[in-house]
Amino acid sequence: MAQDQDLIAGMLRGEAAAFADLYQAYRTRLYQYALSLIRSRMEAEDVVHDVFVGLAKQVGAGRAPRELSAYLYVSVRNRCVDRVRRKRTLSLEEVSVELFVAPPGDEERIELGRLLHRALLTLPAEQAEVVVLRTWHNLEFAAIARLQGASRNTVLSRYQYGLSKLRKELGIHVG
Amino acid sequence: MSDDRLERLLRGYRLPNVSHDLDLRVLQEGAAILERARHRVTMEQVGRTVLLRLGFGYLTLLIDFVTQSDAEYRVEFL
Repeated sequence: MAQDQDLIAGMLRGEAAAFADLYQAYRTRLYQYALSLIRSRMEAEDVVHDVFVGLAKQVGAGRAPRELSAYLYVSVRNRCVDRVRRKRTLSLEEVSVELFVAPPGDEERIELGRLLHRALLTLPAEQAEVVVLRTWHNLEFAAIARLQGASRNTVLSRYQYGLSKLRKELGIHVG
Repeated sequence: MSDDRLERLLRGYRLPNVSHDLDLRVLQEGAAILERARHRVTMEQVGRTVLLRLGFGYLTLLIDFVTQSDAEYRVEFL
């Protein structure tokens, strides 16, 4: 994106404001993405911290990413994969993270959100990842495919299987 | 429930906020790193001006060629 390139150019000139704008633009998306992969608030925040500080160091040394968005998503993913490999798999009961937030006061939405949340956490990791990236991050299937190192068709199937399981889970509980 | 309806339902939920502590940590560390980089850029510009004045302008092109590179990243599998 042109705006990303302007901000990177600002960072190359050493402008802290450009870095702050870039952080504001990506922080919640990258935090949710990390949270969905690693399922720990503290570790997800550490990953986001390391990714942005790493970016500042790279750009500060004159090495600018060609595609900022891809660079940030891949950096988050690689760091999360490293951490997930080193720790044991948590059971659903041990996981207490909020991947999305319901509008306050809307009790029906809040209850439905609990079901959706639980269903999302029970999906296989690759399917949950595609659902998160497609739904909340609006990434193209081709971009998700590059991120997962899979074909576009595989990613499309993962998305459809994921939605189908979520729908089934909601069908059981809602109607 | 159709895929479209389920997607709309999911999109009705917003992303979780990051903590204020994370904002502070990232912005302070990032600003400090870039401040050091800004000093380096200033020193480089002084060096370039000196080289140009002394008639060694081609050296600045050579330095750019050697030092400028893209940040590297690769995909790992889950």
